[in-house]
Amino acid sequence: MEDYKFLFKVVLVGNAGVGKTCLVRRFTQGLFPPGQGATIGVDFMIKTVEVDGEKVKLQIWDTAGQERFRSITQSYYRSAHALILVYDISCQPTFDCLPDWLREIEEYANNKVLRILVGNKTDREDREIPRHIGDDFAQRNGMYFLETSAKEAENVERLFMEIAVELMEQAKCKELPKYDGSLGPINGKTSSVGDSSCCSRS
Amino acid sequence: MLPVNKIAHRLCFMMSRTLYITCCCGCCSALRPRYKRLVDNIFPALPQDGLVKSNMEKLTFYSLSSPEKLDRIGDYLFQKASRDIYRRRHGFVIIAMEAMDQLLLACHSQTLNLFVESFLKMVQKLLESTDPQLQILATQSFVRFANIEEDTPSYHRRYDFFVSKFSAMCHSNHTDKPTRDSIRLAGIRGLQGVIRKTVSDDLVENIWEAQHMDKIVPSLLYNMQGAEKYETVSCLESETDTREGIEEPPKLAEACLRELVGRASYGHIRSVLRPVLTHFDRHELWLPCDFAVHIFKIIMFSIQAQYSYSVVEALMQHLDASGGGSGTRVRAARATVLSNIVAIAAGDSVGPSVLEIINNLLTNLRASVARDSEKESDERLYQEALINALGEFADHLPDFQKIDIMMFIVSKIPSGRGKPTKADCMLQSILLKSLLKVGTTYKTTELSKAFPAAFLEALLRVSSTSEARTRALLQRILHTLLDRRANAPLLLVPTVQYEKLGLTVEKCSRPDLIFISKHGHAIFSSLYEGLQLESNTAENISAIYTTLSLLAIELASEETVCDMLQLILAIQQSAISNPVLSTAQQCQLHAITVALAALVPHVLALPPLGDYIKQIIEARREEAEHMLPPLSDDYDVSPNKLPNKLPYLMIDQMALGECLKACGIEPSRLQTASPYSGGTAVGLAHRHSWVEAGATQGRDSLADISAGPVTELDSANSSPGVQRQTQYDALDEEYRMFIEKYNYNHRPSMPHFGTYRTDNEFWHWGHEDAHAASVHDARTSLVFVSVSISFDHVFLDDFSTFSSHFSHPTQSENVSLEALRRAASGPSEAERRDAERRKVSLNNTFRTAPFDHLLHITQPKYEIQDKLEEIFNSISEEPLLPIGAGSPAGKTQNQPYTKYLTELFLY
Repeated sequence: MEDYKFLFKVVLVGNAGVGKTCLVRRFTQGLFPPGQGATIGVDFMIKTVEVDGEKVKLQIWDTAGQERFRSITQSYYRSAHALILVYDISCQPTFDCLPDWLREIEEYANNKVLRILVGNKTDREDREIPRHIGDDFAQRNGMYFLETSAKEAENVERLFMEIAVELMEQAKCKELPKYDGSLGPINGKTSSVGDSSCCSRS
Repeated sequence: MLPVNKIAHRLCFMMSRTLYITCCCGCCSALRPRYKRLVDNIFPALPQDGLVKSNMEKLTFYSLSSPEKLDRIGDYLFQKASRDIYRRRHGFVIIAMEAMDQLLLACHSQTLNLFVESFLKMVQKLLESTDPQLQILATQSFVRFANIEEDTPSYHRRYDFFVSKFSAMCHSNHTDKPTRDSIRLAGIRGLQGVIRKTVSDDLVENIWEAQHMDKIVPSLLYNMQGAEKYETVSCLESETDTREGIEEPPKLAEACLRELVGRASYGHIRSVLRPVLTHFDRHELWLPCDFAVHIFKIIMFSIQAQYSYSVVEALMQHLDASGGGSGTRVRAARATVLSNIVAIAAGDSVGPSVLEIINNLLTNLRASVARDSEKESDERLYQEALINALGEFADHLPDFQKIDIMMFIVSKIPSGRGKPTKADCMLQSILLKSLLKVGTTYKTTELSKAFPAAFLEALLRVSSTSEARTRALLQRILHTLLDRRANAPLLLVPTVQYEKLGLTVEKCSRPDLIFISKHGHAIFSSLYEGLQLESNTAENISAIYTTLSLLAIELASEETVCDMLQLILAIQQSAISNPVLSTAQQCQLHAITVALAALVPHVLALPPLGDYIKQIIEARREEAEHMLPPLSDDYDVSPNKLPNKLPYLMIDQMALGECLKACGIEPSRLQTASPYSGGTAVGLAHRHSWVEAGATQGRDSLADISAGPVTELDSANSSPGVQRQTQYDALDEEYRMFIEKYNYNHRPSMPHFGTYRTDNEFWHWGHEDAHAASVHDARTSLVFVSVSISFDHVFLDDFSTFSSHFSHPTQSENVSLEALRRAASGPSEAERRDAERRKVSLNNTFRTAPFDHLLHITQPKYEIQDKLEEIFNSISEEPLLPIGAGSPAGKTQNQPYTKYLTELFLY
C-alpha cells in the first residue's frame, strides 16, 4: 500500500535570486533560510499534501536560475506536470525576462504543462511591478497568477495547494497524458500519475 | 499442533490478509503470516544494536526456500521503512535497507524480479528524504543492485526519477564540504549505476535519450571542472580502481564519463557529445582551453576507436555553431582543442573520412579568411589553431595519405593569375601555411613520390604568385619536402664556407636522377624565374638559395652538376642584365650565385672547380664584399663597384667547363640530355667566339652602339691565335645569320617555349635587332669571304646550302628549317676537331682582354631594356609549358636555341 494517490512533478523556474529555493523551503520545511546561496544545477524536495482527503505527493524540482545551468535545468522541464515561473516584484529585469522563459518552456516542456506565474517578495517595500501588470501578463499567456512572499509565508501554501488541486482535477478527467517513454515529446509525459495509481494497488 | 490450531491459523491469516489489503494494519502479531514475523524479528529493540544476524539468516533461508513470498517480504519491508522514515527513526530505516540488500544478493536471479520492485521503491523513498545519510545509503544499495546482472528482462522499470535525483545530488550545494562531497560522490555513483543497469538492456529506459543525457553529462562535467589540475591519463588504467576506491568527485566523474563514452555505440555518441558541447558553451569553459582539452582527450581515449572520427566531426561542426555569441577567442580555443584531439583520431580514420576532415578544416579556414573580424589577431589565433589541427592530423597519417592531402590542399589554392584580391592572397598564404604544416610531417624518401607531377606543377604555379611573402612560404614548403638529410636549417642563410656546416651528403639515387631529368627543367626554370621578380626581398632570394642548395645536395651527382652550373650562370647573367632588379637584388643574386657555385664542388668533390670558385671568392672579398654572402637588405655600393662594372669578378663559364673537364665530367652529354640549355663545352667555345666575332665586326655592327674605341677591340683580339680568329668569325657569322633567319621566320612561334627560355631568347632578338642591319648589309661580302676561308668541306656544303636558302627567303619554311638544323649541327662537328687548341687560345684571349673592352661589349644590351620589359610582361602571362610538350616543329626550333642560349652565360 502506497502512502499517496497521486504524484505530481512541479518545476520552479525563473531568474537567479527571485526566491525559488525560498518558496520551496517555505513550503516543504516551513522555514525561510536567510542568506540562501545560489542553487547549483537542480535541487529536489518532496511534500505530500492532502486534497479532498486524498494524498498527493509533490515532487518539487528547484532549478538554478543562473544562465550557465540552463542546459541541465531545461532537461527537467520535460517531465514536469506544473511549471512555476517566478519573478521578483521588486526587480524589473526579472519580469522582463519572462518572455524568454516562456519561449524556453514552449520549447522544452510538455505543451499541456500547467503554468503558474508567481510574483515573489511581496513583503518588500520597493515594488517595481504592480500587481495588475503581472496579472495581465499571466492572462495574456494563459497562466495562473499569484503573488507570494516566502518570507512572510504569504500565499506559498496556497500556491502549491492550488497546483495540487488543479493537477488532480486534470488527472481525474484523464486529461493528463499517460506516460510512454518510447514516444516523443508530444505524448511522452511522465510516469507518475499512472505509476502511483498502479503502485497503490488495493 | 492440533488441526484446529492450524485451521485457526489459516483463518487468522485470511483475516490479516483482508485487513492488510483493506486498511493496511496488521494488529496482533500472533495472527501475522510467517514472513511478516520473520521480517519483524530482524529488527532489534534498539536501532543501535543493528540487524539481528541470526534472524536475518532465517529470513534469507525462508525467502530462498519459498521465493514466491519475496515480493511480499519486499513490500512489507518497504512499508516498515516508510513508516520509520516518516517517524524519523533512521536507525531502523538503515536496518531495513541492509536487510533488503542481503536479500537482494541472496536471491537467485530468476526470482529477483519479484523483489526488485519494492527494493527500488525503497531506494527511491530513501532518496526522497532530505537526510544526506539516507540518500547516500540509498545510493550504495542502488549501486549494489546495479552491479547484479539480471537475466530476466524488466519491462516496467523506470529510472527517470533516479537519473533526475542522482543528477541533482551531483550538484549538491550542502554547506558542509565533506557532506557535500559525499553526496556528490553518491550522485555520481548512482548515475554510474543507472548507466550500467540500462545500457546493456534494451527493454528498460533508453539512457541515451536526450532527456537523460542532458542531465547525466553536465552533472559529470560539473564535478570534473572543479578539479585543481587536469591530468589526462591516456588509457583505461583508471578502470581498475573505479569500484569503491575513488573518494574525489572529479576522479569518479571522470571514470564514469569514460565508462559512459566507452559504452556508447555509434548512434549514441552524438547524444553524449551534444550536451558536452552545450555544457562548455554554457559554462564558458572553452577559455582557457585546458579543461576542454582534458575532457575531449578523455572522450577520445575512451571512445570505441572506430567512432573517434565522430567526435572530431562534432567538434568541427561546433567550431562555428554558435557564431554570433561566441567570440573569436572561443573559436580559437575550440580549434585548439580540435588540434589536440585530432591526432588521436587520425590513427583510426580511413578513406573518405580523412579528406572530409581536411576539407572541413579548410572550409573553416576559408570562412575565417572571409570573415570580417574586429580583432584580427584573434582571428589569426583561430587560423593558427586550425592549421595546427591540420598538421597534427596529417602527422598521424601514413605518408601516402599526406601526399594526397597536400595535393588536396594545393588544389584549393586560388590561382596566382590575374589580379588576386586581398582575401585571395590571405587564403593563399594560409593554405600554403597549412601545406607547410602537412609537408613538415612528411618524410621524403623518393623525390618522385614526394612530388607527383600534378602536385609539382601546382606548386610551381604558385611559386610565381605576386605576393612576395607567399613565394617565400612556398619555398619553405619545397625545403621541407626536399630536405631528407636535415640540411635545410644549415642552409637557411647563403654562405660560402660549407666546411663548417657539416652538411650530410649522400650519393643521389637512381630514381631521383630520373625524377630530376624529367622535372629538373621545370623546377629550375621556375626557381630562375622566381629570382627575376622585382618584388623579391632578401628573404625570397635566400629562400630560393636554400631550395637550390638543397637540390644540389639531394641530387648530388655528376650527371646533374652541369644543369646546376648552367642555372648558376644563368642567374649570374640575369643579375647583370635584368633591368627590373634593384642594385640590392643584383648584389643578392651575385652573392647566392657564388654561394651555390661554392656548394657544388663541396658536395661533389671537384677540387679544380672548388679552387676556381675560391679564387673568385677571394677576389670578391678584396674588391666587392657586397657580391658575397651574407645577404643584406641594403647595399651601399659606389657606382664603380656595381656588379656590372666588375665583370672580372664573375664566374666564367668557360673556366667552369674547364674545371669540369679536369674532373672528368663529360659536359657534352648535356647537350642533348638537358632541356634547360645546350651543351657546355662545345657551346662555350662557340659563344666565346661569338663575342669576339662581335668584337671584330664591331666596325659594322657594334660601332653604332658601343661608343668605345673600335680600334682597341681589334688590338685586343690580335693576341695569340689571330688566324683562327677569322675562322671563328666565319663560323659565327654563319651562326648569327641562321639565327637571324630563324628569327625572321619563327618569331611568332615564340610562345611555344617555356617562359624561361623565351626570356633568354629575347636577348638574342635584341642582339639581332641591333646587328641586323649590318649583317644584312654585309651578307654577300662577309659571308662568302668567310666561307672561302672556311676549312671544312662538310661545313662548306652545309653552309652553302644554308646560304642559298638564305638568299632565297621565299623558299618554304620546311626546307629552311631542315637547313637550319643541319647548319646547327655542322659547326659543332667542325669545332670538335681542334676544340682543344681553340679553347686554349680563346681562354687566353678572353682572359687577357681588357675589361673595359668586355664591358663595352656588354654595354649594348642595356639599350634594349624597353623591349626586354615588354617581353617580360608578355612572358609573365605565358603559361609554363613543359618543353617536351612542344610540337615537332618546336623541337626543331629548340636546337639552335639550345645552343644559342648559353651565350648569355658569358656575361
